[in-house]
Amino acid sequence: MEISAETWELIGRYVGAGLALGFGGIGAAIGMGMAAGKANEGIMRQPACQGAMLRTMLIGQAVGGSPSIFALVIGIVILFVKMPLSGLTLAAGAVGAGLSIGLGCLGSGLGCGWPAGAACDGLARNPGQSGKLTQIMIIGQAVGQTPSIFATVIALVLLYVPAALNVHTGWVVAGVAVGAGFAMGAGALGPGMGSGLAAGGAVRGIGCWPKSYGVTLRTMLIGQAVGQTPAIFGMLLAFIMLFALGGRAVGLVGFAKTLGAGLAVGFGSVGPGIGCGHAADSGAEWTARQPLHGAALLRTLLIGQAVAQSTAIYSLVIALVLLYGAG
Amino acid sequence: MFLAFLKERGRLIMDLSSLLTCLDAVMAQADVAAETASAAAETLSDAAVTAKALIKAGGLIGAGICMGFGAIGPGIGEGFAAGKACEAIGRAPENAALLTRTMLIGQAVSESTGIYSLVVALIIFLTVR
Repeated sequence: MEISAETWELIGRYVGAGLALGFGGIGAAIGMGMAAGKANEGIMRQPACQGAMLRTMLIGQAVGGSPSIFALVIGIVILFVKMPLSGLTLAAGAVGAGLSIGLGCLGSGLGCGWPAGAACDGLARNPGQSGKLTQIMIIGQAVGQTPSIFATVIALVLLYVPAALNVHTGWVVAGVAVGAGFAMGAGALGPGMGSGLAAGGAVRGIGCWPKSYGVTLRTMLIGQAVGQTPAIFGMLLAFIMLFALGGRAVGLVGFAKTLGAGLAVGFGSVGPGIGCGHAADSGAEWTARQPLHGAALLRTLLIGQAVAQSTAIYSLVIALVLLYGAG
Repeated sequence: MFLAFLKERGRLIMDLSSLLTCLDAVMAQADVAAETASAAAETLSDAAVTAKALIKAGGLIGAGICMGFGAIGPGIGEGFAAGKACEAIGRAPENAALLTRTMLIGQAVSESTGIYSLVVALIIFLTVR
């Protein structure tokens, strides 16, 4: 059965858009629901601050919902907008873009729910501190959005930069596109959740001990920055596969190389991202409790996060060995 | 007499021509056999090349999956250990050195399955290259 180029294009567009919206909406929805639940719990405890509580909840939900808006936009672009690719290449690019944005927005959306919930919780404890709480919640959520921004960039490169996919032919196009999609998408999943956990811990700490704002903010930002590294590995590998492979990948073996490398870095970033986020969560919360010992806590936090990153580094090494190893 | 001679000649010619026909047939069969043999050899080597390529492809994807999913567990577990260490230092800051050391020992042990994944991924890669 001969499948024409137009048929492949349509198949790719539908599957890509399905992946983009199917996965992209999960995280943001769960996060926004968490925020709503915590807001109600806060109102139950402090009925007097319901106005401020509703406002904080809506702000948190709005910022935390933006990854799903990215996914919606990219999904509609995949479905309807004309692209400079054609045939099987377009199909592969669309599926890769859908994977990248779908999985990437899952992590960030889910992550942004924790700081929003913790802000509502803290508002119930300390109704007078809504300014500080909202501020640190927004900063934490903004940093947590970064992986979904990386994912959007890679999705747009896959769709709109013909030079990336047109160098390869046949099977390898599918391998490069889907591999890059997994590398960035799953690579943004873990760090997105992790950064959200870290922000949640910081907001929780400020909610209980608002005086340690400066030290806690610093610990949260450093912890989140270290936790973003696996997402940067994912984006790095996606760019390497799209632009720096040259003629190394041919035929079935080339397809397997690129897909294997993408799976390795993509899923290899999930665990370290979540783990480093969990560590930064505790680190930020307890720095708020004990601001005088902030330095000792930060030191242990950084050592622990560095060790937790090690398997992400192994994955990057294996991916580079698969791509550039002889044979 | 002459007729008999002609008959003889005829029979000889007939024999020769039949011999030639036989030879022709044999040569033709040999050609066909040679063609089939070479085609078979090509198919065999094609199949051999494709099988080798399939095995290599499977090995490369397998190595990727091995390291990819194998990195999930140690990441989450070591992060949990670091988190609990931060909590413990928050509660008892004077024991920071002891707590950090215990955290590192625990993280090193939980790294072990990650090392297993790395080793197996490298073994797979080096076996199929």
